[in-house]
Amino acid sequence: MTTTATPVPSKKSRLNTLVLLLVPVLLLAGVIALFVSTKGAGFNVTPAAPIETVQFERTILRPGQIELRLRNTSPQEISIAQVNINEATWPYTISPGRTLPRLGTADIVLNYPWVQAEAYEITVFSGDSIAFKTSIAAAATTATASVGTLWRFTLIGIYVGIIPVALGMVWLPALKRLGPRAMMFLMSATVGLLIYLGIDASTEAVELGGKLGNAFQGTGIVGIGIIGTFLLLDFFSRRQMSVGRSEAGQRMALSMMIAVGIGLHNLGEGLAIGAAYAVGAAALGTFLVVGFTIQNITEGLGIIVPILRDKPAIRSLALLGVIGGGPAIVGAWVGGLIYSQPLSVLFLAIGAGAVFQVAYEIGRQMLWKGMANRKIPLTVFAGILTGMLTLYITGLALK
Amino acid sequence: MAAKSSRKQQPISRRSLLKAGLGSAGLAGAAALGLSVDPSGTTSAHEAHAQPGHPLHLMPTVVGEVDHVRNGFNPTEILTDFDMGKLSTMPSGQPLREYTIAVENKEIEIVPGLRYAAWTYNGRIPGPTIRVREGDRVRIKFLNAGDHEHSIHFHGIHPGNMDGVFDAASGVVQPGGKYIYEFDAEPFGVHLYHCHTAPLAKHIAKGLYGAFIIDPKEARPRADREVVMVMSGYDVDFDGKNDFYVVNGIPFHYNHDKNPIRLKVNELVRIYLVNVLEFDPINSFHLHANFFHYYPTGTSLTPSEFTDTIALMQGQRGILEFRYKYPGRYMFHAHKTEFAELGWTGVFDVEA
Repeated sequence: MTTTATPVPSKKSRLNTLVLLLVPVLLLAGVIALFVSTKGAGFNVTPAAPIETVQFERTILRPGQIELRLRNTSPQEISIAQVNINEATWPYTISPGRTLPRLGTADIVLNYPWVQAEAYEITVFSGDSIAFKTSIAAAATTATASVGTLWRFTLIGIYVGIIPVALGMVWLPALKRLGPRAMMFLMSATVGLLIYLGIDASTEAVELGGKLGNAFQGTGIVGIGIIGTFLLLDFFSRRQMSVGRSEAGQRMALSMMIAVGIGLHNLGEGLAIGAAYAVGAAALGTFLVVGFTIQNITEGLGIIVPILRDKPAIRSLALLGVIGGGPAIVGAWVGGLIYSQPLSVLFLAIGAGAVFQVAYEIGRQMLWKGMANRKIPLTVFAGILTGMLTLYITGLALK
Repeated sequence: MAAKSSRKQQPISRRSLLKAGLGSAGLAGAAALGLSVDPSGTTSAHEAHAQPGHPLHLMPTVVGEVDHVRNGFNPTEILTDFDMGKLSTMPSGQPLREYTIAVENKEIEIVPGLRYAAWTYNGRIPGPTIRVREGDRVRIKFLNAGDHEHSIHFHGIHPGNMDGVFDAASGVVQPGGKYIYEFDAEPFGVHLYHCHTAPLAKHIAKGLYGAFIIDPKEARPRADREVVMVMSGYDVDFDGKNDFYVVNGIPFHYNHDKNPIRLKVNELVRIYLVNVLEFDPINSFHLHANFFHYYPTGTSLTPSEFTDTIALMQGQRGILEFRYKYPGRYMFHAHKTEFAELGWTGVFDVEA
């Protein structure tokens, strides 16, 4: 009887386990207390100057008024003393107060007659005479939530997401005529495209994450976003595949996965564009829209590649288009109306994780399978490189 | 007409200024309580000045008022705080004026809420205004209570070992040390003194400077008001550029919403003006709605110019004399807008 060999855990032994688990924690607390009480190994651990950092979370421009939202990302509380804007000390109001607790925020309002499309540099001085600088590249009234602006951001989302993805899908009839080798080339190009988008989005996420205050650990957010999304999508796709579908069903499911991945990525793009409009860089916004629209037509192509051999219903195609392009609309709303940098970093990272997973998924399901029959994966190599180069060259022309 | 209406407003202006002062104290309190701080509270003073329906437009200023008591000096008092020293007579019959000046490190609230780690002569910026008469023997006991080498370098005519530049023998003093600078006061005029140890820009920018006035043997014609103004700046984030510009230590102190300088119509006003501004090559002084006689370096009793704007490089100084013909509020400021809007702005409130 092997079962009797394992002792049934009694209440007492469970308590013992708990105590044993707690011992290292208590010891750790003791060590920390020792370190703090002995002023840290004999070094003077108090910094020469206070470590103070703030995050300018958003800038809102209204006619004759500039509002800054500030977050204290220092290890301790800070106080705000004065504000200079473009070489002038300017009266301001601050709410809820001059003293910001750690990670607390304050809104600074300057009644300042700013000029349309001109640049401003604002310096906020802390009580310990630390200068925090932020700038406005091209002043313009910030969009606020209204039916009008919501509709305009929706339109931008449609331009960036839905239209190009749908246009890309219009290639379907033409691509149906291609042979298996060309198919593999296209599939590989899609993988290249996705890898490129993933690298681009992660770089942007890391760059933006680096601008967050230390406390937010921007790179950590990027890691969590990418890895979390990758694993989550992988889990879903494996479950999808394991339900025992037909070959065509599996291909449709793959298309769906690609659409989801691209959709999540477009969420990040929408966010970037919305934010560009929101922070007054309207010209930049327009440029981004045109650039993303042109690049995203390749995304539509990527979505339909797995189902070229099938006869998908229009309804399914429309669904794919909405899933792939629609999130750009949501992104534009979020970016334009409730812009938050930590959230932007997370969304960019989620987008990156999503496209990486989809690239991996296509590779796993289609390419490896196809490659097993061929001696040279030259088509795959050429395809992936073509995909990446396509985005590089369009980017070169547009950015 | 304008004069009359503005005369009427004077009593209001005083009261409302007082109110404004209380208002800003209240603001600081509100801030401490974590309430929304509204500097427009001080605009009640402006509105009292302005014609009904014409509120004063927004102008650069700091929000609140610095704690002069904790700082240990008040620019309003610095204006007329001439230190004549301890007067005695030497065996030769020559008048002797003795001073004690100590360097001390001091945290100063230069603009409301902002503490700056300054170096000071006698705990204030600018240092004491030393005022002697041509031919007096000047004896300055100098103590260095700071943690760096310091000195006093006087502008004037004196022996090399009183110049405060090279070594211990010429008046460069180690922390904890002392030195006695002694020389005869010449030539008459408005001069300055400042620390002259390396790195020099740091020693000046952190606050080691002051005015040094030598009156001529035959006194200048009596003025109704004599004031000293020392122009400088603060680089609070140590990037080699001034963040605030100032006359007499506290930016915007004499501003319309703070502590304007009160004058009377037709009073003869004499300003001893010194520029010691670090980092920027040129400073300036402009007087509104008036002209002044200008005596460069104050070394002549005949003015060289009748103007309303002068430019001064670092170390340049002079004497200005003027009278206001009309009552009203008149700005004086650097005619470099950036300097003016970053603190080097004041107001003469002229009463009938």
